[in-house]
Amino acid sequence: MKFKKANVATAEIDMTPMIDIVFQLIAFFMVITNFEQTQADERVILAKDALAMPPKVKREDELTVNIGFERNLEGEKIDPQAYIFWPGEKMLIEGLEAKLRLEAQIYRDEGKDIKEITVVIRADAEVPTGIVQGVIKIAQKDGIKFEKFAIKAQQSVDP
Amino acid sequence: MKIRGTKSTEKIEPQMAPMIDVVFQLLIFFMLTLKIIEPEGDFTVNMPIGQSAAESDSPKPPVIKVRMKADPVTGEMYSMTIANKELFASAPGASQEEKSSNAFKRLNSEILNAIGSPGNPLADDQEVELDPDFALNSKYLINAIGACRGRVQRVNGQARMIDYIKNIKFASPREEGAGG
Repeated sequence: MKFKKANVATAEIDMTPMIDIVFQLIAFFMVITNFEQTQADERVILAKDALAMPPKVKREDELTVNIGFERNLEGEKIDPQAYIFWPGEKMLIEGLEAKLRLEAQIYRDEGKDIKEITVVIRADAEVPTGIVQGVIKIAQKDGIKFEKFAIKAQQSVDP
Repeated sequence: MKIRGTKSTEKIEPQMAPMIDVVFQLLIFFMLTLKIIEPEGDFTVNMPIGQSAAESDSPKPPVIKVRMKADPVTGEMYSMTIANKELFASAPGASQEEKSSNAFKRLNSEILNAIGSPGNPLADDQEVELDPDFALNSKYLINAIGACRGRVQRVNGQARMIDYIKNIKFASPREEGAGG
């Protein structure tokens, strides 16, 4: 057998193709990562409907209200009471009025027309309808007066 | 001063190691933050709640009323009527899901009957009023809105939405615990 003893020169790895691929991957994940869904609460499991299509024109201003249940890791309800998941806190529907009043005041102070702001309701599939209607009713009270409403659903793809 | 004259043709190797460190960090960060979210859509709802829309001079077709009744404890729907015609109780299907899916299909065709054909100008004035029980699970409300709103037609794999009725409103909310 022949041994090439002379070839002790450093073995160089060609990095170029690997870096090409890694940059491709980074670009892919950067593009796909969606930082905008921050208002969505992961505890809310939306209802599914084939007709729930994302709005064609993106809304400029929207205020999201999450309604859902406390769930364990398996997704089972651990508390039959439905809560409003406001950023940073969890409350009953009675607490919503003060929050919406404040929100409406902030919009007015910013000089925005309250009529143009959509209140997006993200309600869990099992939330009683009465609570969804209650949220809308509160948002229409004097001094708050939101006028545009939308109810979120997950787009199902079955035929 | 020392001048290296002879070794000036020495090959300069770029330092790859730190770059690859950073690039891998970035790659792992974006991979971990990736959350696969199914597309979320929404339905706009006409408000104000429980009040009829502003009166206009042109006569409006009568509002189609859809009443949905639910078990006060579980929130499962057990009855859905459109103009006093029962759609749920008589719907075929063994499980609650099958029955409700068939009931919403029937609601969909009832709505189509009411407007004649999709895109009919009369459908622009037509209103649907949903009157659900307090306890009704909101998924049924979503499905009812969807069934009144239209249907999805697939042409060569492309989904297209066919509008039925856009004016959907809610009746005044019912009291909690009041069923039937």
